[in-house]
Amino acid sequence: MARPGFLGGEFTLTVSSNPARCLILACGNTLRSDDGVGLRLAEWAEERFQENDNVRIVARQQWTPDLAEEIAAAESVLFVDSSIKSLPGHVCLVPVEPCAHPYGAATHRLDPDELLRLTHELYGSRSAHSMLLTVGAGSTEMGEALSDSVQAALPRARGVLEKTVLRFLEN
Amino acid sequence: MSQTITIDPVTRLEGHGKITIHLNDQGEVENANFHVTQVRGFERFSDGRPFYEMPSLMARICGICPVSHLIASAKACEAIMAVRIPHTAAQLRRMLNLAQMVQSHALSFFYLASPDLLLGMESDPVQRNILGVAAAKPELGRAGVGLRRFGQHIIELLGSKRIHTGWVVPGGVTEPLSSPKRDEILAMIPEAHKNLRLAIDAYKQIAASFKAEIDVFANFPTNYLGLVNEDESIEFTDGALRLIDAKGVTIEDGMTATRFTEAIGEAVEPYSYTKFAYYKPLGYPEGSYRVGPLARLNIVGRMGTPQADVELAEFKQLALGPVESSFHYHHARLVEMLYGIEKIEEILSDPKILDTHVRATAGVNRLEGAGQAEAPRGTLAHNYKVDENGKMLWANLVIATGQNNNAMNRGVLQAAKHYVKDGKFTEGLLNRIEAVVRTFDPCLSCSTHAFGQMPLEVSLIDAGGELIDRVVRG
Repeated sequence: MARPGFLGGEFTLTVSSNPARCLILACGNTLRSDDGVGLRLAEWAEERFQENDNVRIVARQQWTPDLAEEIAAAESVLFVDSSIKSLPGHVCLVPVEPCAHPYGAATHRLDPDELLRLTHELYGSRSAHSMLLTVGAGSTEMGEALSDSVQAALPRARGVLEKTVLRFLEN
Repeated sequence: MSQTITIDPVTRLEGHGKITIHLNDQGEVENANFHVTQVRGFERFSDGRPFYEMPSLMARICGICPVSHLIASAKACEAIMAVRIPHTAAQLRRMLNLAQMVQSHALSFFYLASPDLLLGMESDPVQRNILGVAAAKPELGRAGVGLRRFGQHIIELLGSKRIHTGWVVPGGVTEPLSSPKRDEILAMIPEAHKNLRLAIDAYKQIAASFKAEIDVFANFPTNYLGLVNEDESIEFTDGALRLIDAKGVTIEDGMTATRFTEAIGEAVEPYSYTKFAYYKPLGYPEGSYRVGPLARLNIVGRMGTPQADVELAEFKQLALGPVESSFHYHHARLVEMLYGIEKIEEILSDPKILDTHVRATAGVNRLEGAGQAEAPRGTLAHNYKVDENGKMLWANLVIATGQNNNAMNRGVLQAAKHYVKDGKFTEGLLNRIEAVVRTFDPCLSCSTHAFGQMPLEVSLIDAGGELIDRVVRG
């Protein structure tokens, strides 16, 4: 399926109409410098897994409650985002569990653990594997370019993303 | 000593706002204001742009109802071009606008309002959100997700993007509808009906338990404005505006977009960046009116689709004349969603919907143009002036939240007077005051043409202007 203009921010790549085994759920804003790194990784993943019906990629400006339905349909989910808590360019992969207690207003935007909790409450399902891949942001100012440190971290982040998805698919 | 209560931010809304409640020396509520505290200025930075860029520029005002801005803007441009768009293009736009209405109303009802409705106004604020609803009523949570998907997927199928599609352009739309896409949308209709029926039944079961809130949630007579067709049926994209008074008597009918710009004024209050729209012949504030689902259902004689007509008849039983309490906005939203689903199916059943002639072209034939449409939360009007080369000289946008502004403020005051006694209040009571604003589903980003989430602040201020208490969220 031809995807809409990437710089528009959001896209959904539907390689197959069947539920995919692995869901890559990216989020960010390409107009806010390093905040867009999640969407750039999603764009790369789109090329990398173009031929693989088991991988579905959804890129959004924020993670909304609606995405619970997507997660429920997948066996594994890899969240991809930038992080302002990590050092610029630091690539981090951590497991995510459904949050024990909701802690936010939880309307327009949810964190990965809240989304997993919502998925479980609504659909009774739990992903076999759920991980969060982040790249530390150096700048989230207005602009379409990544900072040098995040640009330099892209190859490593792509490698981690690829390895994680392939491991999900092996299990 | 007099006091002021501040609720900041008001939660589960689109945008930033706060509420202040002023108490007198006896601790009674004297005044209350709903403040919109953000500003962005879209009308200014359109200056000098080619007019045909306006739809895609203006759509960026909002991530929830960009389709309404696209359509109102494109219609203003078409007034400048002096063209009539092809029938199929008009029907495709109508479907797009209805799809947006369904997904936006679903967000309002299931994500923003249902925590109050299903869990209770006094329920634990930690649980009073979509996660709490999912735990308590998962079937309704799934219905909400399903209806959001229904609307958003139609927008994506038609315009290639769920948000900020560039498909609507001056003169029509950029691409016709394909047969596979038509069939895909039709295949989604039964599930959408099922999800909506679940919501309507659930709402009717619980609505009676909110009688106290119905009585004081902006429950007063006002005028009402909305689009209607010549056959008295509801309209979201074309038609003409009707303004009725508090008794249901028509004040003005057949109001075109051009007439709207003449008849509607915008007052300014010092406490808010959002203007206060009013009907000029009646003056301000007497000419204030409400728009949106409640107003639309009050002004129409029929919905125009079978199931929605049955629901409208039941809705109109709520009052002898116009239904006044803003609490009933929730009910009206459900009726409109039902209409939207039925109407989309009807539009797709027309064989002409696959026609490939979907765009008219022309240059600048007039130096001013106005367009109007119904956004999910109410009437939206765009008015532009251009030079001979089509460069924008001036723009004015009148959006739903500004048109509801007076009623929202009066509603906050009415609820505050009822719930705040002797300067004392609880979180649950303050939540009810916020919930009054939520019934209108205001979009504060649209109203100030600004951007942001919707945190809110409630301040309690004494008669001497001293801040006594303040609740800040966000």
